[in-house]
Amino acid sequence: MWHIYLRDTPLEVVALRGVDMEVYKGEAVGIIGHTGAGKSTLVQHLNGLLRPHKGKVIIDGVDLSQEGVDIRAIRQKVGLVSQYPERQLFKDYVADDIAFGPQQFGLPPEEVRERVKWAMEMVGLDFERFKDRYTFSLSGGEMRRAAIAGVLALRPKILILDESTSGLDPRGRSDLLRRIKELHEKEGLTIIFVSPNMEDMAELVDRIYILADGQVVMSGTPREIFSQPEELYRLGLGIPQVTEVMHALRARGKNVRVDVLTVVEAEAEVCKLLNC
Amino acid sequence: MEDFEFLRNITIGQYLPGDSIFYKLDPRAKLLAFFFIVAAVTFTSSYLGNVILLATVLVLAAISTIPLGYMLRGIKPALPMIIVLAIMQLLFLGDFYVPPTGIRTLFKWGFIHITTGSVQLVIVSTLRFFDLLILVSLLTFTTTTTELTHGLESLMSPLARFGFPAHELSLVLTTALRFVPILALELETIMKAQASRGANFGTGGRLRFIQQARQVLPILIPLFIDALRRAEDLILAMEARCYVGGKGRTHLIQFRSSLRDYLTVVFSIVYAIFMLTYKFPF
Repeated sequence: MWHIYLRDTPLEVVALRGVDMEVYKGEAVGIIGHTGAGKSTLVQHLNGLLRPHKGKVIIDGVDLSQEGVDIRAIRQKVGLVSQYPERQLFKDYVADDIAFGPQQFGLPPEEVRERVKWAMEMVGLDFERFKDRYTFSLSGGEMRRAAIAGVLALRPKILILDESTSGLDPRGRSDLLRRIKELHEKEGLTIIFVSPNMEDMAELVDRIYILADGQVVMSGTPREIFSQPEELYRLGLGIPQVTEVMHALRARGKNVRVDVLTVVEAEAEVCKLLNC
Repeated sequence: MEDFEFLRNITIGQYLPGDSIFYKLDPRAKLLAFFFIVAAVTFTSSYLGNVILLATVLVLAAISTIPLGYMLRGIKPALPMIIVLAIMQLLFLGDFYVPPTGIRTLFKWGFIHITTGSVQLVIVSTLRFFDLLILVSLLTFTTTTTELTHGLESLMSPLARFGFPAHELSLVLTTALRFVPILALELETIMKAQASRGANFGTGGRLRFIQQARQVLPILIPLFIDALRRAEDLILAMEARCYVGGKGRTHLIQFRSSLRDYLTVVFSIVYAIFMLTYKFPF
């Protein structure tokens, strides 16, 4: 169980104002907000990169501001994948770069190899084909996956993905989301997913926090949040396209559920209407 | 190395909007005045001279209404180097400088030779650092990069006749200056990303040089690649806006010098000549 409470005041800009957030073990939590809302600032507190100027960060019962806290151990437990993570690649060969993290923690070579293999599998980079490739000869999408593997190789319990789908083509995006879902459901990782994209959220997460101007303005399950489109539009955000369609149908007097999140659910509802 | 906020400490290259007198001066006047005052700072070795210089610089800083604390932030990263340098000067350059009041040995042992000369050298050098930092900050805080390029180019243009690449040089200089804060921010991002995946900064001991050098690679390589990528983007952007080199380029904003600008330059020349030629007693 986690309990997190943060407030942050970096250089003359109040990035987070009295943000309270909780994430429970095994959950998938989404954070939505505009650029500048404070999303990255928020998640950078979760692995100790930033310190709150007021408030506390508590991970697995450990208060990060206490004396003698092993921050590196926290960073192993809480894996943060930054935005445009491919920028962190620096080793000549793909497998070496992914192995960097485990090696830094002093793991024995066989263990490191196992981890690299597992991580590459999780992101869809075939171990034999990619391990000896030059890092910088990879395509953009492959580099991103390699960077994510680099974090996964630490075997974190909690995975934070800061806008990991930005800059990817639609196929790359849906592939990545599918894999994240797998990590969540099959491997039991707690996931914190930051994205401005509504569709991503609807499919993936159990609960959502909406951040605006450094404050939490809405929180709840996806169905709860997306059933308030006027509120979301007011905040300058949208709702998944299928949900919008459902709302539009409802507005025309059709008796359909509006708490629809995926295309599959929408299809089922529309089929009920059309008797197909 | 727990604090990742580098942008706080990199004050060089930032432009702060404002309206003190410095903002109203012609950039060419500022550049010339800067040049002359820096010359005065660099070559004055006496205590009295440096006190006068420090006072002058502080007065200028006060006029500028920019908080002194913010300007001095820029010295933080250089502080270890300055201290090491100071200690080395104090210990080993005893014979280097002879103060106007004559030289006197304070301590001698083997290679270590501390004299009144080396003490003066250390104090003066430290004061110089402050003076130069504040002067550079004053220049870059109150002058936009466009103004700086334009001003430099304008000043160097008489030399262009002799094949001197005035335009290219000033472009290189101001691009470099402009990118210091951008790359500082990028450095911060990269360090955070690497720290997030287990990179270890700051440990390894003071003497494990090779290990510490290795620790730099996860930062250096991505930073280089980022800088190169930005350079390529910049080139593309410039070419997309029909930049084909400096020949024949005209400017939208023309400089108009006023009496105030001429006075500034004249004052700085007089000041520099005075500081450089007057024999200060100590």
